[in-house]
Amino acid sequence: MNQQTSGGLSVRRVSKSFRLGSTTVEVLKSASLELADGEAVAIVGPSGSGKSTLLHLIGTLDRPDSGTIEIDGRQPLSLPEAELARFRNRTIGFVFQDHHLLPQYSVMENVLLPALAFRGDRRQRAAAGQRAEELLEAVMLAHRRQHRPAELSGGERQRVAVARALVNRPSLLLCDEPTGSLDGDTAKAVSDLLIELHGRDRTKMIVVTHSTELAARFARRYRLTDGRCVAA
Amino acid sequence: MRRSLIHFWPINLAVLAAAGVATAVLAGSLVVGDSIEASLRDLTLERLGLIDHAVLAERPFAAELADRLAAELEPGASVVPVVALRGSAVHAEGGARAARVAVWGVDAGFRTLFPGDPASQALELTRRPGQVFPSLVLNSALARELGAQVGDQVVVAFEHRSEVPRSTLLGGDDPEAALRSLRLVVSAVVPDRGAGRFSLAAGQVAPLNAFVELPVLARRLERPGVANALLVAGPQAVDRTAAALGRALELADVGLRLTPAERWLTLDSRELVLRPQVVAAATAAGEAGGRAVLPLLTYLANRMETGGRAVPYSTVTALPLPPPSGFGDWSVGAGTARPASGDTPPIVLNRWAADDLGVTPGAELEMTYFTVGSRDRLETARARFRVAGVVEMSGLAADPSLTPELPGIADADRMADWEPPFPVDLSLVRPEDERYWDAWRGTPKAFVPLAEGQRLWRSRFGALTALRFALERGETPERAATALAEAVLDRLSPAELGLTVLPVRRQGLEASSGTTSFAGLFVGFSLFLIVAAALLVALLFRLGVERRARELGLRLAAGYPLRSVRRLLLAEGTVLAAAGGALGLGLAALYGRAVLAGIGGWWAPLLGSPFLRLELRPASLAAGLALSLAVVIGSILLTLRRLGRVPVRALLAGAVESPNVDSRPPRAARRLAVAALLAAGALVAWAAGGPGEASPGLFFGAGAAVLTGGFALFAAWCRGSRGAGGGLTLAASAARNTAHSPGRSLLAVVLVGSACFVLVAVAANRRQVEDATARDSGTGGFALVAESAVPLTADLDSAEGRAELGLGTDDRAALAGSRIYPLRLRPGEDASCLNLYQPQRPRLLGVTDELVARGGFRFRTTVEPTAEPWRLLERQLEPGVVPAIGDANSVQWILHLGLGDELALHDDRGRPVRLRIVATLDTSIFQSELLIPERAFLEHFPDSEGFAYFLAEAPPGRAGELARRLEESLARYGLDATPAADKLEAYMAVEHMYLDTFQALGGLGLLLGTLGLAVVLARSVIERRGELATLRAFGYRRRTLAWLVVGENGFLLAVGIGIGAAAGLLAVAPHLAASAGEVPWGALAGTLALVLAVGLAAGAVAVSAALRTPLLPALKSER
Repeated sequence: MNQQTSGGLSVRRVSKSFRLGSTTVEVLKSASLELADGEAVAIVGPSGSGKSTLLHLIGTLDRPDSGTIEIDGRQPLSLPEAELARFRNRTIGFVFQDHHLLPQYSVMENVLLPALAFRGDRRQRAAAGQRAEELLEAVMLAHRRQHRPAELSGGERQRVAVARALVNRPSLLLCDEPTGSLDGDTAKAVSDLLIELHGRDRTKMIVVTHSTELAARFARRYRLTDGRCVAA
Repeated sequence: MRRSLIHFWPINLAVLAAAGVATAVLAGSLVVGDSIEASLRDLTLERLGLIDHAVLAERPFAAELADRLAAELEPGASVVPVVALRGSAVHAEGGARAARVAVWGVDAGFRTLFPGDPASQALELTRRPGQVFPSLVLNSALARELGAQVGDQVVVAFEHRSEVPRSTLLGGDDPEAALRSLRLVVSAVVPDRGAGRFSLAAGQVAPLNAFVELPVLARRLERPGVANALLVAGPQAVDRTAAALGRALELADVGLRLTPAERWLTLDSRELVLRPQVVAAATAAGEAGGRAVLPLLTYLANRMETGGRAVPYSTVTALPLPPPSGFGDWSVGAGTARPASGDTPPIVLNRWAADDLGVTPGAELEMTYFTVGSRDRLETARARFRVAGVVEMSGLAADPSLTPELPGIADADRMADWEPPFPVDLSLVRPEDERYWDAWRGTPKAFVPLAEGQRLWRSRFGALTALRFALERGETPERAATALAEAVLDRLSPAELGLTVLPVRRQGLEASSGTTSFAGLFVGFSLFLIVAAALLVALLFRLGVERRARELGLRLAAGYPLRSVRRLLLAEGTVLAAAGGALGLGLAALYGRAVLAGIGGWWAPLLGSPFLRLELRPASLAAGLALSLAVVIGSILLTLRRLGRVPVRALLAGAVESPNVDSRPPRAARRLAVAALLAAGALVAWAAGGPGEASPGLFFGAGAAVLTGGFALFAAWCRGSRGAGGGLTLAASAARNTAHSPGRSLLAVVLVGSACFVLVAVAANRRQVEDATARDSGTGGFALVAESAVPLTADLDSAEGRAELGLGTDDRAALAGSRIYPLRLRPGEDASCLNLYQPQRPRLLGVTDELVARGGFRFRTTVEPTAEPWRLLERQLEPGVVPAIGDANSVQWILHLGLGDELALHDDRGRPVRLRIVATLDTSIFQSELLIPERAFLEHFPDSEGFAYFLAEAPPGRAGELARRLEESLARYGLDATPAADKLEAYMAVEHMYLDTFQALGGLGLLLGTLGLAVVLARSVIERRGELATLRAFGYRRRTLAWLVVGENGFLLAVGIGIGAAAGLLAVAPHLAASAGEVPWGALAGTLALVLAVGLAAGAVAVSAALRTPLLPALKSER
């Protein structure tokens, strides 16, 4: 479980359109974005501007119509399905607006989920467990490790989701409205946590948000306007 | 409600369809039952035409009794005489044979019983000009068997019953004398419908009917103008027919003669023996009229010997000594006629005999005579008497009519011309014997006390040859005879005179309802299908409720009372159930038609020619609808009951399962599990510790309890495992995911588990034919079972008997090394699963002492533990009760009896007799009949003479050859031989037909269950699409996720199969213990593998749905 810091993120002239009935909506129009190792950036924009679409393309959850995406010197979208899954598992961490915790698993198990996508040896499994413990300490939920999502508050669930996103020491952390469903105090606490962990692990981090408060905490900010990334 | 129904139309449509399936199957099963019953009723009505009652006689009577009976009945009633015989037929040119042929002697009146039936019009049997041989009409079934066409010659052989019972001294032991045959020309072949199907016995397979002109058949029986059955068409009750018959009867009809003499009347019988009931009635009638009654028993002594001198072949009369007055002089010239002292019984010699033997009173005399021993063989017996007196040759002692008219003797001019029906050595006849014959004919030479004579010479037919009634002073013999005849007949019912009046139409219609209710049978066959449909309704309805959880939560949050929310859902569910029910009623007819078509094919060997038709009865359809509505609405109510336990906040969050806060297993589930498993243990302990063999019912109960307990345990585990660890391996994850939706998972496990329970229990019951050569097998180690249409009076097991039967050297060589055990057979209805009708008078076999001593066969139950269960037939029970053994399947399922239960019948003399089941056989060749001891058989059913059922032991591999030889050589007797293993297999084939039907319909249930499983999984996957998408976002591969879903499915399947199979195996444990080697384990494993494969296929559908789910919308969707 090595932290991958071998390169930055380069999004070049990426376009993406969707068909809605008989109409084609061009969400991204030759959007480009560069991010160096350890750098964090916030992307803002009105609803429907394509923020999440861009984030999903970067996260290899979707494929662009055109353009290239290079992460740590590799173009993952050219990889076959199995390789792509492994790349995503090792390189990218996600935090969604909705935490997407698995209700039947405990907090600890939810955090460990990405680490167990590929069968590792005993040493690797022990290391993952150790890492999960550290992260739960970091998000101040070690005492709730055996609890299940239904027994947590909204903020706690999102902190678990943050810990889960970081368990594989990804080089790129993608956060899609991480505080969108949280109240003010809770949202601030989660924001603090993200920024703190980013500072500690030096991952590349992209946060898509409506929140001007959250965006204001990032040195670099982009605005998605008319399908393009524009420095804000 | 309307908008809700429309808005959620896909799931509602599914609920409606499932309710429709439940109704279709339930009502359809009732339709199938009704259809079979109605079809059997049709057959009954068809084969009987207008016939309501039948009068069956053991001995022929004058056909004009039909007219006398008709005159006694209400106007409009008609009575038709027929001769009914069992026999065989051989195609004269082709040589094709048919056994078990029903030979009917009919006249024009018979045709009137089938008005409108074109077949009956073809029963025109008069001989055409130039036709050499009489006409014969065959039904199609017999014509097919013989390969006969119009114009062909066919030889029909049939039983000829002599007037004197064959199994008496005077009956004769020539087996050929019991046979008659006719060469006939086929004048028509009628279809197996209407008159062509005519039979007095219920059976769904067409009989083999041969119709001959009544006078032709009667003449061949050497009794012109007789019949032995009357067919009665009329609306009166059977009691009235019996009463009318009683009024119409004359003594001559039943072979009785009342002969007037100058001073007395003599009552005797053409059978040469008076039946006990006749004796009792006549004695009572005589005594009531103030007449002296003299009972007489005259027998033949082969030899009387004393002091080196002997008299051959003398008749001896047993009578009260001294005889009462009024019957002629009784002049004892020397000594006393009183009983001698000591143990030696007295005998009174006539003067001629005393002089010939040179004896005086006090001398001892030895008499030899024939008795009828085992297998009806004549044996020589001896008795010693002390001469008590000498009676002069006058009066009663000089009356030659004391001796009945013995066949072959009475009309002989000289003793040397005797042709008696028993072996005599005429070289022993001396000139003085001839002189006595010239002077005194058959006048008895000796007299013994009646009790002693009856002790020595009584037969099962009676103990008197005649009764004499003294005339009143001044009374004319003719007037006295008329009065006495009326008085005797008044005291006897037709049954006591050997005439049975059967309400054949009523019995046939009652029997049409089957051995088990066909509707019940098919509801049973379809039970799992019905349960599966009901569970599917519950499952789909629950999914519908889950989809509307937020709406329901909102309603409750807005202040709607829970009751009103439930009522709303119940109303919707009821509408869906009713609409589904209406749809199902339409489908019920289709389901019924499909099942009838299916069983028409599967059951072809059982049903014979196709006759099933669809019968739609509104009452059954209504009952089916009502039952299915109750089942469906009950399922819905169960779902709604749980709704009240879900907090509103959970409903608002879209969940109908209680949130995962309480991880304790529900106490109710735990308690149910513990209670059910304890009950199972207790039932097993009870069954194991009880007397006799383990009760299948107890084990089945234990199996059902384990099934319930298993489901309850799973339910408890589902709830309890939510908070448990278990790791994150794929398998553990799969298991835990199933627990996330305990309700749905439980329903799926119940569906699969129930299917497995049924399929395992059924498959384990499917047995293969065991080693048929083993003595403890269902064949008893016998190689062959044979049955003859005409009973054999010769011993097929002895060299002499085989010679008498005309078996040639080759036949005897083929029989070398074989041993044949004859059994007596009282014809009746097949009590096996081969007969769809409920048997009213089952076939009976009389088991000889030899067979009891031989033993063999495997017993399932006995009234008490014993190493020799056959010996239970030797038990002496209360008067009128006879021990009986039957095949366990027939006793339980066809006759609906248990161990110790009794079957009430009437014997040949109209007396009630109760057959008490003392043991049951396990899957034997005796499924068509009940077995009773020979002594009881002879006592109660003396009219079934000879042996008509045979079991043969044969060297290995010789059964086929032996069967062929016996059938060829004894074709005239209609002998039909079958390898015992084949017979057993034929029974098991029917058992397998039922199992096939059950499995086929159970398989449909499994299909429905699998559909439910697929619904559960698909719904689960759809609900968890966000979760699965998240896992994919974190790098989980599609294949891994596929395995996860398959694992969940596999886990549910494994749990269901495990619980169902374990419970199923326990349920059939006694059967497994008894015949583990016969259980087709391979087929059983294959069945379970099929369940697994079908279940996994359902999972594959769910996986496919999961992997087709787009990633991003799933991630964006709300949870």
